[in-house]
Order: sequence, then structure tokens, then C-alpha cells
Amino acid sequence: MRKKLDTAWTYGLLVIVAFIFFFPCLWLILASFSKSGSIYSFEGFFPKSYSLATFHKLFTDTKMYNYPRWFLNTLFVASGSCILGTFLTILTAYTMSRFQFKARKPMMKTTMVLGMFPSFMGMTAVYLLMTQFGLINHLWGLILIYAGGAPMGYLTQKGFFDTIPRAIDEAAKIDGATNLQIFLQINLPLAKPMIVYTALTSFTWPWSDFVLPKLLLKEKDLYTVAVGLMSLDETEFARFAAGSVFIALPIVILYFCLVKNMVDGIAQGAVKG
Amino acid sequence: MKSKWKQWKNFIQGSTGAVKLSMLVMGAGHIRYGAVTKGLIYLLMEVSMIVYFVTRGLSDIAGFFTLGTQKADAWSGVEGDNSIVMLIMGIFAWIVVAAFLYFYIQNVRGAYACQKRSQKGLPQIGVKQELASLLDQKFYVLVLALPVVGVCIFNILPIIFMILIAFTNYGGKIVPPELVDWVGLDNFKKLLVLSKFAPTFGKILSWNLLWAVLSTALNYFAGLGLALLLNKECVRGKAFWRAFPILAYAIPGFITLLAFKFMFSYGGPINQLIVSHGGTAFGFLDLDAKWSARIIGLLVNCWISVPSIMLLATGHLSNRDVTLYEAAKMDGAGRWKQFWKLTMPYMIFATTPVLLGQFIGNFNNFGIFYFLRGGLYMDGYFLASDTDLLINWLYNLSIDNNYYSIGAAISLIIFLITSTISLIVYVKSPSYREEDTFQ
Amino acid sequence: MKKRMIAMLMLGCMVLTAAGCGSKSSAKESTTKGTGAAVFNGKLESDVTIRVLENDTAISKGYFKELIDAFNEAYKDKGIKAVDANMDQYLDLANDGPYGYGPDVLYQANDVIMKYAQGKHILPLPVEDFDCYDQIPETAWKAYQTKKDGKTYTCGVPVNVQAPQLYYRKDLLPKDWESTWDKDGDKVPDMVQTWKSMYAFSTERHKENAKTYGYMKSLNDMYFSSGFLFSYGGYIFGKENTDPSDIGFAAGDAVKGAEVLYQLASAMNEDCIDDTITTNAYSKLADGTYFATISTPDVYSTFLGELEKEYEAKGDSKDAAEKKAKENLVMTTLPALPKSGSLTDQSDETIDSKSMGGVNGYAISSYTKAPNACLEFVKFATDYKMIKKRAEMLGIAPAREDTAKEIGGTSEEIYKNLDKGNIILMPSITEVSQIWTPGKTFFIDLAKDVFRSDDKKKYKDEAAMKQGLTDMCDQIREAITTLQ
Repeated sequence: MRKKLDTAWTYGLLVIVAFIFFFPCLWLILASFSKSGSIYSFEGFFPKSYSLATFHKLFTDTKMYNYPRWFLNTLFVASGSCILGTFLTILTAYTMSRFQFKARKPMMKTTMVLGMFPSFMGMTAVYLLMTQFGLINHLWGLILIYAGGAPMGYLTQKGFFDTIPRAIDEAAKIDGATNLQIFLQINLPLAKPMIVYTALTSFTWPWSDFVLPKLLLKEKDLYTVAVGLMSLDETEFARFAAGSVFIALPIVILYFCLVKNMVDGIAQGAVKG
Repeated sequence: MKSKWKQWKNFIQGSTGAVKLSMLVMGAGHIRYGAVTKGLIYLLMEVSMIVYFVTRGLSDIAGFFTLGTQKADAWSGVEGDNSIVMLIMGIFAWIVVAAFLYFYIQNVRGAYACQKRSQKGLPQIGVKQELASLLDQKFYVLVLALPVVGVCIFNILPIIFMILIAFTNYGGKIVPPELVDWVGLDNFKKLLVLSKFAPTFGKILSWNLLWAVLSTALNYFAGLGLALLLNKECVRGKAFWRAFPILAYAIPGFITLLAFKFMFSYGGPINQLIVSHGGTAFGFLDLDAKWSARIIGLLVNCWISVPSIMLLATGHLSNRDVTLYEAAKMDGAGRWKQFWKLTMPYMIFATTPVLLGQFIGNFNNFGIFYFLRGGLYMDGYFLASDTDLLINWLYNLSIDNNYYSIGAAISLIIFLITSTISLIVYVKSPSYREEDTFQ
Repeated sequence: MKKRMIAMLMLGCMVLTAAGCGSKSSAKESTTKGTGAAVFNGKLESDVTIRVLENDTAISKGYFKELIDAFNEAYKDKGIKAVDANMDQYLDLANDGPYGYGPDVLYQANDVIMKYAQGKHILPLPVEDFDCYDQIPETAWKAYQTKKDGKTYTCGVPVNVQAPQLYYRKDLLPKDWESTWDKDGDKVPDMVQTWKSMYAFSTERHKENAKTYGYMKSLNDMYFSSGFLFSYGGYIFGKENTDPSDIGFAAGDAVKGAEVLYQLASAMNEDCIDDTITTNAYSKLADGTYFATISTPDVYSTFLGELEKEYEAKGDSKDAAEKKAKENLVMTTLPALPKSGSLTDQSDETIDSKSMGGVNGYAISSYTKAPNACLEFVKFATDYKMIKKRAEMLGIAPAREDTAKEIGGTSEEIYKNLDKGNIILMPSITEVSQIWTPGKTFFIDLAKDVFRSDDKKKYKDEAAMKQGLTDMCDQIREAITTLQ
């Protein structure tokens, strides 16, 4: 009985949470299907009539706003910085968690402190550097910056590695495995949930960032989705909403592809005992 | 200190000519004692350093001090100096010099070590061996090299740049092609003398701290709670339920913020509903709405941040040691007890960095109030509104009003305060001091 | 306009933009226009491609394509080719130009272009050689003049004039307006001629049907609201907008302008406090909720499009809807203001409405590799034929007298207003960036006050309003001087 009540409670809560998160999204999704295109012709929260015209326009009317192109650009940047950034972050976190060396603690403190600096104040410097390196108007210039800065956020991942028992490493070491092997064959598989999390965040960031792309990409054809959407005319609300909904799509797909790895976690209780 | 001196003396007396020569010609010692490849690498390093210095390094460093001497004039075709480019390339040159010095010292040390090995009759360590050790004992060097270079260029260099800007007169009317100059502590003096500055700073700082603490606590516990809720055994279709927060997560923050701003605006759906039910429109985010705007800010920020914390916490939860829970269950511990005694300590340990990261992120959360309620200057505030955080104020000062160097000076002060606080918290936290608690 | 401000802020966020110092030229004493930069030696570069930055409307309406096609056709044998720069219409040349990423020729607003001139990011032009030189009024040229080392330089060529216009719908007029709302009998409804009648009509319309309104406009938009202050003697900066130490939003009887705004707001609803009306005016004018609003001429086609859609939804055919919309949507100059500053006053004495405005035009980047070819392009784009085409295709108000006259209607009216000095051009000094937020805050406060309960009202009398304006000026002054 108690268990049933508990289950009921849980589901009740879940429904509320789902509603809270879903409602604004639903609003945005329905707005993108609005027939009139203007947000002010809605009755209450939702449009009066629906049509697919906006989506059709979004992908075919590319004279001013080349959304398909922006989408591919962003996909490229996001995938690139996802792969590179995840690689660098995980490696950094792992090293900081497992190795003892002189510069370790100072490095940890430094990165901690550096994160406190208001980032937009350094944007001028980034822009100037990129002009000097000739990386303006290059998509991979963006990837370089996103991936280069990614290891700064290694702390979260390090916290995770700290909870993976070291006993496994030592056992492997006795068997003659090198540190590289230990990392690749033992720790990496165990860190799957963390890798997924890192990959997801570093994939998502370029989709929502518009400061950096705006700064480094001058040509409209090179815009990322976020910059492009910000450049939309103010009367194009439905198009804005449709563009926003489409941003969410690859991220949600990626999530569903990766979700299995997220919960698998450590082989339960296999190590300790 | 003394032992260092002694080492140095030993080195001077004990080293052979070839090792001493490597202080001038890098790699000489290595080559003399048979580690030819390594020696050649060092030599190549020195040559490329000299080339860099001759081609631009020297002038970059000179430019760092002068910040330009010739003003550009495009109309009469005079190509002049760009002070800020000179500043940044100057910093870059210093970083190159620092890196070179590091290798230079490594070179002398290495040469001396080679000499000793050779005197003892040991074979030199080959490049192959050296490389192999990178995959094992020195694995961390290999791994960290790339991130360190990246962070140096894209994070540290801009920060140094910003800090140095606080000591120049860059901003206002003095932007390229005008020449920028070093002004020492003038900007800080200005801040001390101005009576306008202190009250605004105090008000904004206290709200900013309150905001950072509240929103961090709210986000963290809501995210953790959600993860635990979804992790319950009785929940079926976890992936389905988790998809809702993920959907929220997948929509970029600035879009969410614009959408929420519209929802709470006078013509937005919420006010439409109120008006159609006979009420009067309520200014959730307008001029007089200090606390309602602040609370909306907190909740919207929560909506945006919770999904990612939930994701993270889910990852951590799946890494828990399940045997402990089984043992606890056998001992008759209830669920609350399990939560407080097992889950919480574990989660807090594993997620202190997250908490800190959240705190920092929220402390410097530019977007929330910029999008929800930007562009207001209130009475009693100098170029800011009562929901603005320090970072919004900085933006108003340095971008809207062009006081770039002053903005840099303020951000330096803020930076010193906040980094001290967070450093103390971090150093005292269990996840820094007792890294192996949960091993 | 709003969007443009945001875009400017955004750009500012990336890299600090402010250029050079305030122009000290008191434009009056300009006798010689000065010559162009030395690089204009008349030797046309060949085999060059020039990147031209146009505004988005010109591109989306197809005018820009016609322009470059015509130019490329004419200069095919000279080896000059013009292409779309394909960049953001609000880009900042001061940021991108020096590093080689800017366009060669750009079309932007006068305040933006003159900001570049302070840092010499654009070239002074030999404008006397231009076909349009005598056709463009002195005021418009002045907006592009700057004084350096005792010489006056002209750094841009005016193309179109931007000034707030009244938009209203003929079909929403009362059926018997000719007998009830045309006291002077000039066959033009009174409410679009004087603010007094507009106010009376707005109150009446709202009374008849609580869901409909007469004149609606967000007060928080400084660009539109400040015109009311100017009409009664207010100004932005002293010495013809060149002296930032003198801030004049409270000068003269400016407070009367604030009172007029306050009264107008009382006939609106809370939506006038934030951006709501600015963004929903297109659809609300179309669905008949609003009768009139003000906006710039460049959005005429957007209003028209919305109205067409509305008629179509009501069952008209596409052609009929188009025709009907063109007939019923009217864009005209601003109504006259009451001299007394009160919309309920008995007296019928009126004064002209002044407004903030701008002149958009072409300029040539200092960083171009082919200045002479660029000059040819600007000459080509500003000659009679192209400007006429531009005006026809985009509905803009040209700065050229001959085209303005030929097109007639609103274009001619705007031209006349510019000539008369009723359009206050945005100042060309950098300090202008510091007026927006304090101004906006004041107007929000003013609008909000209309809807505050009586015991909480701040602006109950003229003195309080005057104080509000003075405080706004002080805030701007502080922003400009405190940290310098």
C-alpha cells in the first residue's frame, strides 16, 4: 500500500515537472506552426490557426536568411568542438585526478580562479588574436577556440574520476599495463556517463553561443544558427520560433542516441567488496 | 635557498665544457654525450627562437612598452601603429619567451644529467625510451601539453590583456587609430575618488552575492532532486520522463530568455489572460518591479540550469556503489537515512566542483537580466538597474559607455574579491583536500 | 529602430567600438566643402571586385540586385565588378576594416558613418563632382561633414531620409468623418492633422469598443518620443548637436512635449510601457485594433504586407487584397501639436511637429584597394536614375530634390521637413550613444506613471515632469563626464 502511494506521488511529481519543462517548449513549437507568423495574433498562449508554411519558408526562402546553410555550419562547428573538446576535457580531468605532479595543485587553483573572470571582457583580445592568426571567417577557427577553452571546465569531470576506485588501476599496473593502457582500457569505459555528459554539453554550446561566432564570422553564409536567428527581422517571429525548434532537434537526437550510456555507469559493485 | 646555491656551485664546478657550451648553443651537451636527436631538437628550438625574435619578437616586445609611436592616418596614407594589437602581440611574445626559458633550463639540466650518466658509464636515454615514458610515467605531460597551450592562448592571454588594460587609458576617445598609453594606477585612483561609484558598487555586490547563493542553491537542489526522482526504481520509462528537461536543455538559453521576456511582457500571454479575466495588466519586469523581476530571474534561471545539473547528477548517481546501499538496507536503514548518510555525502563530494562552477556561473550570469530586463538606469544607481549584476554593470560601463579601461579596473577588483572567496571555499572543500574519500 | 539599437549594442559587446573624438566643427562656417582624399586620382583600377554593403530591405526587395547588375553591365569593359559584401548590415567598420574584413562601399546611417569619420575609417569624398551635389539640401550634406585641421570634409553621400511618419487606416475612419472630423474642410481627416483631434478620436474609439484603440505607440522608444520634446524647444546637444556639455532635453518648453505624451498614453493601455506596441503594431493595425501608429518609412512594406494578409484571410483575392491595402494604408507626416501643450485645451493654435531622424547614405572604406572604382560606384548609385528606382522599389524618401519632387506625396513632404529643419538629425558625435538608456528609462517611467494609482503618481504636475526631464539630462551628463 505504502509503496503504491509512493509510486502515485512520484508520478504526480513527474507529471508536474514534465509540464513545467514542456509547456514553454510546446509554446515555442506551436508558435512555429502559426499561420499568421505574428505572435500577437495568438489567443492567450496559442495561435489561432496552424500551417506548415513557416517551416517551408525556413528551408526554401534562403535569399535573405539562409537557414539550411547556417544549420550545416553549426552542425560542423558543434561536431568538431564536441569531438575535440570532449577529448581534451576528459584527458585533462583524468590526468588531474590520477597523477601526482608538482604543478598539479597550483594548476587546479589557477583554473579555478581563471573561471571567475568575466569572459566578455576578454573578447576583444580573442578577436585581435584571431585577426593576427588570420582565422576570421573560418569555421574551424571557432572550433579551435571552443575546444581550446573546453579543458577549463575539467573540474566536474575530475570530480567524477575521483570517485572511480584507484584499486582497479593498481591491479592493472601490477599486471604490467602502462598508464595509457589503464586509461584506455579501464577508466575510459567506466567514465561513459561522464563522457556522454561532456560530449552533450560541448555539442550544445556552439548551438546557443552567438557572441563568439558573431565576432569571428563576418560573412552571412558562414553564420551559425544562433547568429542568424538574432539577425532575423523583428516581424519574423514564427520563423524565429521554427529556427529555434530546429536547433533543439539534433541535440535531442544526440541525447536519445547517448542516453543508454548515461545510466549504465560503473559495473555495479564489481570492484569493491 | 642555500641548497640551491650549492647545487649551482656544484654545477659550475662539475660541468664540462660541452655542458657549459649548451648554455650558449642549446643541445651542445646532449650531442657531445651521445643524445644526438634530443640535442638537435634543442638546437632547432634555439634557431627558430632566434628567427622569431629577429622577424617579429623583438619589435613585439618593444611595442609592448611603447604601445605605438606613430598614429595612423588613412586619409594621408600614413600607416600607423595599432596600440591594442601591439599590446596583445607583446603579451604573446612574453609567453613565447617564458616557454623558451623553460626549455632552455631543461636543456642545461638535461645536458648536465647526460654528462653525469656518461661519467657513470650509463647509456644515454634514447628518444624512443623518452617517448615510451610519455605513454607511461610521464603520461600527464603528453596529455596536458595540448590543453595547456590552448588554455594559455585562448583563456590566459585574454585575461592578461584585460588586466593590463586596467593600467592603460584605452577607451572613451582613445581607441585606435589614437595611440593608447600606460597610465599606471590612474584608473583605480579615479574609482576611489568618485563618490558615485561606491554606493552603486555596494548595492550591486550585495544583490549579486544574494543572487549567486540563492540561484546556486535552488538550481543545485532542484537538479539533484529531479535526478533522484527519475532514478527511483518505481519510475518506468525513465528515458521518456527525462526527455522533457532535455528538450528544455536543447533550446538555447538566449531563445528561452527572449521567450520568457515576451511571456511576462505587457502584451504577453500571461497579461492577456489576466486582462481577459477582468484584471489589470501587471508589469512583471518593468521599472517598478524590483522583486518580481528578481524572482522571475531566479525561476527562469532555474528552468534553464536544472536540466544540465540533472544530467550530471544522473551520471554521478549511476556511479554510486550499490553494495553500500544493499548493506544499509540489510542493517535496516530507512530511505531517508540512506539519503542523508549515503547519497548526500557522496553527491556533495562528487559535485563540489559543480556547485562551485554553478556559483561562479551564476555570479557572472550576464544573460539573465540582460535579456529579461536590460537597458534601464535606476535612481540611486550609477548606470545600472536594481536587477543588474556586477557583470551587467561592467557591460554598461565598458561597452555602452565606452569606459573600457575603467571597466577593466572594476573587473579586476571584482575578480580579486570573488576569486579569493571561491579559492578559499575550494581549497577547504573535501573534494580538493581529500580527493580519495570515495575510493 | 529598436532592433538597430540592439544590434549596435551587440556589436559593441564584441569589441569596443567608439571611434575618435567629438567633432568640433560648427558646421555653419563651411564655405569650402574640401576635396576628397588624395587617393582619388581619377585612375580607375581595373580587374577589381568591390564589395558593397547594402541594407537588408534593399536586398530583400530586389533593388540591390538591379543596382549591381546595372553597374556591372556599365563597367564590364573597364574590369570593375560590384558584389554583395554579404555581411551584417549593422557591422562596425572600425572593428573589421583595419584588419581587412570590411566592405569597400557601405550604406549606413549618418551617425554611424560619421563615427567612422572620426577615426578616419572612411574616405572624404570629392562630392562637388557628383551629379547629385546640387540636388541634395545643405542640411543633409551637413550631416556628413566633419572638420579636421581647419578643413571641412564630406565623408558620405546622402541617399534617403529617415523620419517618423504617421501610419493610419482610411477604412477605420468613422463613416461620416467628412462631416464630423473635418472641421477645416480640407478633405483630410482632422485626427491625422492635429494631435488634439487624434487624442479626442482615440478616446472616443476606445469608449465605443474597449478592445480597440486610436493612436498607439510604445513610449519607451527614445527615437520616437524625443520628437515631442524637440517640438517645444528641446534639443539633444548644444551648438547644433556638437557640444556634449550642453544637454537640452529639458530646454525651452520641452516639458510641454512630455505632457502631450502623457496625455496620449492615457488613451492607450499598459502595452505602451514596454516594447509591446512597437512589435505588435504591424498585426494590430492590420486587424483593426489600432487606428494609427508612428514608425519610419522603411517599414511601410511590412505594414502593407500584414494588411494584405488580413484582407486575404477575410476572403479577398490576392490582387483585391493588395489593391485594397494600398488604398487604405496611409503613411503621412506627423500631426501638428497644440501650442499650449495640452490636448484638451480650447485653443486651436498649433505648431509643427519635429522629430528625430537620420540620413542614410553611401561611404567608402579607407581600407579599400580600389578607391576610384568605389567612387565610380557611389556616383552610379546616387545618380538620378538609380535613386528614382530605389525610391520606387523601396518606398523610401530620397534626399535628392528632383526625385523627391517627382515621386511626390510623402517623399516630398519628408524632403520639405528636412529642408525646413523639422527633422533633427541624429548627432554625429560619439557621446550620442549615452543618451539612449537614460532617455528610455525616463519615458518608461512617464508611461508607467499614467497607470500608477493616484497616490503613487510621480508626474502629477508640470514641475514634477520638468524635474524628471532635468534628472534625465543629469543622468546623461553623468554618464558622459563622470568617468572621463
